[in-house]
Amino acid sequence: MPSETLHQAAAQPTAYTAERPYRTREVDITQLRRAQEDGIRLALDGVDHSARPTWKLRETIEFYRDVLGLPLVHTISARGWGPPGHPDFLHFFFDAGRGATIAFFYYIGTDRPARYEPEDHHFYSATHTAWGVPTREELEKWKTTLEARGLTVSAYTRHEILESIYFRDPNGYPLEITLRLRDIDVLDSRDAELTLEAAMQVEDEHRAEGDRLRDIDTVWRRKAKLVESLIAEA
Amino acid sequence: MVVIYVLDVPEFHPVVETCRDKPDCTITRPEKGYWRVSAPSEIVLSRRAMQMKPAVWYGLFTGGLNGEIAEFGRDEVRLIGTNKAL
Repeated sequence: MPSETLHQAAAQPTAYTAERPYRTREVDITQLRRAQEDGIRLALDGVDHSARPTWKLRETIEFYRDVLGLPLVHTISARGWGPPGHPDFLHFFFDAGRGATIAFFYYIGTDRPARYEPEDHHFYSATHTAWGVPTREELEKWKTTLEARGLTVSAYTRHEILESIYFRDPNGYPLEITLRLRDIDVLDSRDAELTLEAAMQVEDEHRAEGDRLRDIDTVWRRKAKLVESLIAEA
Repeated sequence: MVVIYVLDVPEFHPVVETCRDKPDCTITRPEKGYWRVSAPSEIVLSRRAMQMKPAVWYGLFTGGLNGEIAEFGRDEVRLIGTNKAL
């Protein structure tokens, strides 16, 4: 009997495999109640882990553990997780500091589908992992050390509140190491609200006219209007 | 009239500082966290004069802009008045 059939015969449905709507039902925001309505305040306590698939077992382990030097702290090795066709796998975690880990799934006996191949495109790079360092000296140490170890690392890039370096792992996944340049102020969060409120307003208006939002200038003009209203408030 | 609203945080302060040297610019101290910089017809800003990194430069008007961007290059931006709705 081929091993796949053996696995399928052994698989028993569980709540995880049989009750699928949490994975398959579309999230319809119009049907969801807001936090304000029930008054319950939910809070998170930082990142536990983020996880990606890999089809390069040795390269991934050697990169994260031996080149970056992140401690390997946990590995799950398992027969498929129940659903028919789920391959056996390894799931392993590297310590990224402050209790956070970066994790990978290696699905045994599978090939990387074309859509998981890395691309040199901002849509692709938008999904990335950014780790923090506490000082400029630490940021420089990461850049110079990784370069000395042979890795290609970007120039320092200064954003509004972050300064970052970028590189990729053997899977092509984009990684970032970043320094917070200043604390986030109450001004920042109110400004963030206003910018996105402006964007949502003009996008809704464009959609209502069968058009789409085409530039940031339109958002900036609406933002000016919102800021003028804020200033005019008593 | 061209108006820029500048969030009162360090990375955007160079916008206010550079406009102090422009005779036709009027600067109003921050209210509710926003500087107001205005000029009758045009404001030209230089990235090099402000010693601003590109990643911040391209988000220059995130505080709000009552005006129109006539040109936005890597080193210079020119703002003019507009009739476009806010």
